[in-house]
Amino acid sequence: MAYGSETMAAPLDQHRILPPNMQSRPILGELQTRFDVAILLAALLITITCSDASNADDQVRSFITNHCTDCHSANSPEAGLDLENLPIDLQQPGDALRWTRIVDRVASGEMPPKDVERPKPDLVAAFLSSSSESIRTFQKKEYEQFGRVPARRLTNLQLERTLHDLLGVDIPLASEMPDEAKTGEFNTNAAGQTISHFQLESHLKVVDLALDEAFRRLIADEDDYFKRELAPKDFTRTRDRCREPECIDDRAIVWASQLIFYGRIPATTAKSSGWYRIRFQVHSLNTPEKHGVWCSVRTGQCVSSAPLLGWAGSFEATEEPKVVEIVAWLPKGHMFEIRPNDRTLKQAKFAGGQASNGEGGAQNVPGIALDWLTLERVHQGPTKQEVRERLLHGLPIDVVGNGPERSVVEGNPKRGKGDARGEPTVVLKSAKPEAHLAAAMTAFAKRAFRRPSRPEELQRYIDFAVEEYRRTEDLSQSLRSGYRSILCSPRFLYMMEPIGPLDPHAIATRLSYFLWSSMPDDALTKAADENQLRTKEQIHKQVDRMLATERGKRFILDFADQWLELHQIDFTEPDTKLHPDFDIVVQNSMLEETRTFLMEAMSTDQSVADMLLSSNTFLNSRLARFYKINVPLSDRVERVSLKPEHRRIGLLSHGSVLKVTANGTNTSPVLRGLWVSNRVLGDYIPPPPENVPAIEPDVRGATTVRELLEKHRSDPSCASCHVKMDPPGFALENFDAAGRWRERYPAVIDGKVKAGAIIDPSYTTALGESFRDLNDFVRIAASNPRKLGQNFAAKLIVYGTGAPVLFVDRAGIERIVDESEANRFGIKSILYSVVSSDLFLEN
Amino acid sequence: MNPLNNGRSFWATQRPLSRRSLLRGAGVAMTLPWLSAMERAFATGPTGSPKRFVAITLGLGLHQGNWKPEQSGFDYEPSPYLKNLQDLRRDMTVISGSSHPGVGGGHRAEASILTASPQGSSGRSRNTISLDQLMAKHLGDSTRFASLVLSANGSDSPCYTENGAMIPAMNSPRAVFERLFIDDTPAARALQSKRLQQGVSIMDLVGEDAKDLKRKLGAGDQDRLDAFFTSVRDLEKRMQESEQWTKRPKPKVDAKPPVDVGSPNDVIAKQRTMCDVIKLALETDSSRFITFHLGGAGGVVPIPGVEEGYHNLSHHGMDETKIAQLALVEQAIVEEWGQFLRSLRDTKDQNGRLLDNTSVLLTSNLGNASNHDNRNMPVLLAGGGFRHGQHLAFDQKKNYPLPNLFVSLLQKVGIETDQFATSTGTLTGLS
Repeated sequence: MAYGSETMAAPLDQHRILPPNMQSRPILGELQTRFDVAILLAALLITITCSDASNADDQVRSFITNHCTDCHSANSPEAGLDLENLPIDLQQPGDALRWTRIVDRVASGEMPPKDVERPKPDLVAAFLSSSSESIRTFQKKEYEQFGRVPARRLTNLQLERTLHDLLGVDIPLASEMPDEAKTGEFNTNAAGQTISHFQLESHLKVVDLALDEAFRRLIADEDDYFKRELAPKDFTRTRDRCREPECIDDRAIVWASQLIFYGRIPATTAKSSGWYRIRFQVHSLNTPEKHGVWCSVRTGQCVSSAPLLGWAGSFEATEEPKVVEIVAWLPKGHMFEIRPNDRTLKQAKFAGGQASNGEGGAQNVPGIALDWLTLERVHQGPTKQEVRERLLHGLPIDVVGNGPERSVVEGNPKRGKGDARGEPTVVLKSAKPEAHLAAAMTAFAKRAFRRPSRPEELQRYIDFAVEEYRRTEDLSQSLRSGYRSILCSPRFLYMMEPIGPLDPHAIATRLSYFLWSSMPDDALTKAADENQLRTKEQIHKQVDRMLATERGKRFILDFADQWLELHQIDFTEPDTKLHPDFDIVVQNSMLEETRTFLMEAMSTDQSVADMLLSSNTFLNSRLARFYKINVPLSDRVERVSLKPEHRRIGLLSHGSVLKVTANGTNTSPVLRGLWVSNRVLGDYIPPPPENVPAIEPDVRGATTVRELLEKHRSDPSCASCHVKMDPPGFALENFDAAGRWRERYPAVIDGKVKAGAIIDPSYTTALGESFRDLNDFVRIAASNPRKLGQNFAAKLIVYGTGAPVLFVDRAGIERIVDESEANRFGIKSILYSVVSSDLFLEN
Repeated sequence: MNPLNNGRSFWATQRPLSRRSLLRGAGVAMTLPWLSAMERAFATGPTGSPKRFVAITLGLGLHQGNWKPEQSGFDYEPSPYLKNLQDLRRDMTVISGSSHPGVGGGHRAEASILTASPQGSSGRSRNTISLDQLMAKHLGDSTRFASLVLSANGSDSPCYTENGAMIPAMNSPRAVFERLFIDDTPAARALQSKRLQQGVSIMDLVGEDAKDLKRKLGAGDQDRLDAFFTSVRDLEKRMQESEQWTKRPKPKVDAKPPVDVGSPNDVIAKQRTMCDVIKLALETDSSRFITFHLGGAGGVVPIPGVEEGYHNLSHHGMDETKIAQLALVEQAIVEEWGQFLRSLRDTKDQNGRLLDNTSVLLTSNLGNASNHDNRNMPVLLAGGGFRHGQHLAFDQKKNYPLPNLFVSLLQKVGIETDQFATSTGTLTGLS
């Protein structure tokens, strides 16, 4: 048996190689647990009658003295664990975590180690029973005093979506916030969230951006949302030697080339920040024999002083003309770039860093031709009328719009010119300004605070707005100021839940932030107002409705961004020498593969076990070519049945997973294994003990990773974890850092990449089952679907409630998994069990 | 996320303080330095050169065999990394055999480089204020930006508030340059000023509400509300100060705005570009306390001869070809640090060389990146008016407490304290 554990914050990596996306990332608790222990203990509780507490303590003490302290002594504590001085009556949360590890390792039979005398089974059982009970008692008491979840702060994504929903705006906001601390798997985990004046300052900035946009929308002219139709002569180059498309035969031509910003279209430059829909008709030129010309659409300022480009989309141009449509956010001054983007194509070389007329055409490389292009400014969010409703709540307030709003709201235009932001000039008129101001504040606060407030709780916010009105007689400004104060309130910024069972509004809030990463909508709020979230059926009815929305359908993606670290996919840039055919289009195709796969798994209630075994995946023609899977496909991902010769099976063989678990250059079985164990398999690998001196790895003489690890594992304190985490890592060694199949390691000799040692993916699991390759391995892993389900349920609980799954919570996880057993531990079934579980509905 | 957009990490402070205020922070009690905050703010014609501090922190250490000289004292033979820095020999001190007592955890100790605070693996431990932020807290109010927190990649920094919250770093030299030197339009400044003033009132309001709320909440939430409340009060003060600065034009410099380095792997170019901006910030007295963090990027640093990722190379496992490649990267980092020192040496402030009034520290949490050992941290100190020229070699087995150097640095910038974290005194051998 393996073991699980919980820890509050721990060093991940003391003596092993970590890629940058995994370094210095402590794990905050959301750990996997080992439920066999819980089952065993539950059984024990029936047979063993616990005597009084001191008797139990004696049992524990004598077990420790007889079987543990020979090695774990005060003088030379093996693995840094001094059991002579570890208190048996738990005082600190940390004590409970340490005891959890002890219990798990004894329960799994790892401790005492095999080479010493084994304690009698009934002694082990009694020890486990007593110590487990004391952990549970301690943690239960802590929960009763502090609650299971401390006040959670809205994450960046939650803040963005909440402001969108509250105000009816659609502008990007999360990217304006500081990156979130990487202190655990999920940023919703309250223990990893910090607050500082820097955080608040950014918060205020984002609130101002959102309010400015909302007030601007109140008066924005609809004709602001223009549409521009451009013929090739309108969006091609006006001079020789530049990077814009070239106009040939009334078509806009861009050749395959690595020249930076080549294919930029200044005619698409945004005069004001917003969402833009670009449409164009395109076909390929000098088309390769077996496929079309894959292209990227990106956005940016496209000048050397601002070299960063944002991803907008991709398409495959073919000889048959097709229309491509993409919606992207353009900050003011940014433009679209459309170009062939496929590293496997022959590339044109341009002398002197600019493309001359005719220079690309003469090189006989693939290219694309655009026949026409339209640019439209669009809204993603609600209509102007809906924005008005959200800001004015149906009160008889007139909006007297005027003013050149476009010129005033826009911030930070050209680089080097500083901030040039002004304010929207909205004039609001009302017959009863103060009364209407107070009414608007009350209505807004109910939505922003996600619950009704008592009048006295709102009074200071209302007073603040009314005082401003009395001073300035400017209703619009006073309303804006009042909303600004509400949006800085701790009642908005934090989810604060009562200890014990949640009230209906707290349930509604948990549900909506879990499934939507945003505030409850009107229907959910109404259900809470009417106390219609009491029964499992009522909750499931809401969940049905919520999952059916566009946002709900993407729930699994919000979750997987963190669960599978998909948001880290661009953290590394694969070495082009080692991975010459990898490019940004491939990377985004990998994301699409995994996302489509996960959405399908959710909608069909697939189990994690089936996800690991799946012989279906979702590919477009570019990714299929990268994977060397020869099936006819287009530029939309489609279901593909994997055959044995394709060498891929299930989620673990997705390029996205293989890439985020490597560092861009090479792979490490340790890192991949650790990742797969902790995130997917539910074999929680604890960090190396802190107070043990690091072991100096000396790998001279070891040539392969396998030999290196054999050497490393000759130390028993290393072996105990590596025996668990290395196997999945070895099973994946046939895939390189960019996700390609390989049979040999690369060897870089004098700057040239040559075929190196043959890869051996075979290994033996911690339980002694040997496997030949990934195929074998996933079969072993999938043979315990219950365990995979437990892991998935625990991840959902951490993500959805904001606190780790501790020892005392394991019984709750077990109940969730029991419920989903009838549906073969399908992930959707688990999700439904989670939302109606005590863990989810209590604090 | 767009790295150009994370311009958020600094505020000027101009905190009116009484001369006899007792300042408390991180368990430190100290009296105010020679000039009160009221006098210092907007002071014209300073009575002496301001004292400054720059920390350059590395996430992956330096290979000890290459940075630590073999001999101690004044007559040490330069180590390989220091060979090309001999013109700076009298301006710098090499310190070996020192570390932060009780700090472990390998990469995780990045959080402790400037705080010296052990980050336990269990329980509810949290970080404490970092050296630069302590300086900024007490002396940052004389400049537009109390501190600058910068990095090569990402927003991780070794700079922490008293609450233990990490201050996100700015990683775009271009964005930093604009914040420092490009004036906003008068309309934008008027709006900023108005919103800052109102922001102060709002902070006051939500702070009061937090106090009310706290009374009704469980013990677990009360802690969180306390942290919120402290942050609200801090921001309130800082907004008051910033509001004053919006009325004053930013300094003008001749230098062209820098161009951000596109490749995340080219950490050397990133270090160089950011250090150029740091020098301008010091020269114009825009900030006096600046940190630049060069974390452990994973990619292949574009230097001829380097073929493997930087992070990977740092785990060389004594493999000689890896160490040789690692040395190319680390040598370039140390030499860029030297270039930065030269630029400060060759720039004059009111009272002489900028370098003599600026302590510049280069260090890392890792003494040995290959085995993630946090002892025997690499420490190079230059400038600041210390007595330099030596290799201070302490015991490799029983390390000297590095927080003692931090106390010396605090005293050097004018903070009268005799303690920082686990210090036991000031660093012997620097004066």
